[in-house]
Amino acid sequence: MTKQICSSIARAKGLDRDPIHLEELHRYLESVLPGLKRVEELEFTDLEPTLPPRSREEGQR
Amino acid sequence: MNVEELCYLSAGQLGQRIQSRELSPVEIVKAHLERIQSLEPRLNSFITLLSDPALAAAKEAEKEVQSNRYRGPLHGVPLGLKDLYYTRGIRTTSGTRVLEDVIPDFDGTVTSKLKEAGTILLGKLNLHPLAYGPTGENPDYGDMHNPWNTERITGGSSGGCGSAAASGQCTLTMGTDTGGSVRIPASLCGLVGLKPTYGRVSRYGLTTLAWSQDHCGPMVRTVEDGALVLNGIAGLDPYDPTSADVPVPDYSKALTGDIRGVRVGVPKEYFEVPIDLQVKEAVLKAIERLGELGAVVSEVSWPLFHDCMPIASTIQMSEAAACHSQLIREHGRRLWSPVRLRLEAGFFILATDFLQAQRARTLFCRQSLDLLRDIDLLAGPTLPVTAFRIGTSKITLGGKEVGVIALLTQYTRPFNLNGFPAITVPCGFSEEGLPIGLQLAGRPFDEETVLRAAYAYEQSTDWHLRRPPI
Repeated sequence: MTKQICSSIARAKGLDRDPIHLEELHRYLESVLPGLKRVEELEFTDLEPTLPPRSREEGQR
Repeated sequence: MNVEELCYLSAGQLGQRIQSRELSPVEIVKAHLERIQSLEPRLNSFITLLSDPALAAAKEAEKEVQSNRYRGPLHGVPLGLKDLYYTRGIRTTSGTRVLEDVIPDFDGTVTSKLKEAGTILLGKLNLHPLAYGPTGENPDYGDMHNPWNTERITGGSSGGCGSAAASGQCTLTMGTDTGGSVRIPASLCGLVGLKPTYGRVSRYGLTTLAWSQDHCGPMVRTVEDGALVLNGIAGLDPYDPTSADVPVPDYSKALTGDIRGVRVGVPKEYFEVPIDLQVKEAVLKAIERLGELGAVVSEVSWPLFHDCMPIASTIQMSEAAACHSQLIREHGRRLWSPVRLRLEAGFFILATDFLQAQRARTLFCRQSLDLLRDIDLLAGPTLPVTAFRIGTSKITLGGKEVGVIALLTQYTRPFNLNGFPAITVPCGFSEEGLPIGLQLAGRPFDEETVLRAAYAYEQSTDWHLRRPPI
């Protein structure tokens, strides 16, 4: 996540692009986003997105 | 009975005395208002106090009881609602000045159910802004303070519920829990905090943070009170499409005290992450007590426990950003920076990343269900630490520096991701006199087993009878 990409996305999403704020946001993203990449390493072939179980029976399937 | 003693009666105890007319809702509410006035300068539990309406409601409740129109065990019992539960005609700020003028024109489902049950609303309770944080700090309305040590956090986001219930300002409080926001302040403030199964309680009429992980739950001083509240609020709601069409049992009947044969699993992964040694010791003793009470305790393995944070955070951040996108764009500069940054960060998660996290969530839920096929409950710490000083952003634990958000949610977040019911009960105190919580979690819609075990443990100890030195 370069500062340029951060600024482009912020503009596209209508976020505040005050330079000081963008600097802070970029630092925050650098600290948080890498930790989320772990999801890509998990094996979930053939699995579909789903919500939590909606009943006892669904929960016990 | 003096004011303090009255204010520390449980809802169960108050209900009996109200029904028998030994106590009037009016004197109960007056006592609580007196306690609120005396403690508020030190605790800052409330955003909006409703003294006059509460007294009027109490007089009405008194008339109803006297004319044999008793509504049930919650009739006349004082209640505080986290200030994101919609209350008709009463401002609902969600903990931020940006929303200070929001006055809903309807009661949310939880609000109206508890009103129908006859509770007396004392006020709207303080919270971490927009419920997006686990410490209970709030620059707009002031930080909440832990009654056990007022220099320490209450925890959050339902921090005002924590301080109000623990100090006797309210008998009952209702919080919400997206990553731990009922259980974290409940554990830090020495309370019982219940996060029911996702869909067990309607989310209609409250400020959303993340649709698929938000839960409503009571923060109270006894397990019995938790069961009484759950009786009053659980059930299908046509206004909430995610509410579940599952029958609501009488949860108070689950409080038998008998847990012989209940199979309790302790994930070994719980002790592979940073944890304070005093907390670990207290929790392990509590688990041993469950065994003494007849539960069959065993070690289990939950490999995906370690991956919960990135899965849950990807989903939560995306949902929160989407939910509050207009607020961020129009009022971002007025939001408290830590909350603002967390909200804005959600815009930087790609749709494909979000969907991969949802697939990972399927995997996580399946593994959770598999785990609870051979055992009935998971047991472990609610938190790895006790309450720390207000303003702390990082803590050194086990030689490692850890951010407080990750630390405070490491044991609670898995049950927001899978939606399973989870409760925290007090299980001891640190050398500094700060509460420690034991978390028990069960199968979807099996709150009965969760409550039964929590009650059995609670009744075999006196942790829940201790009061903060305030």
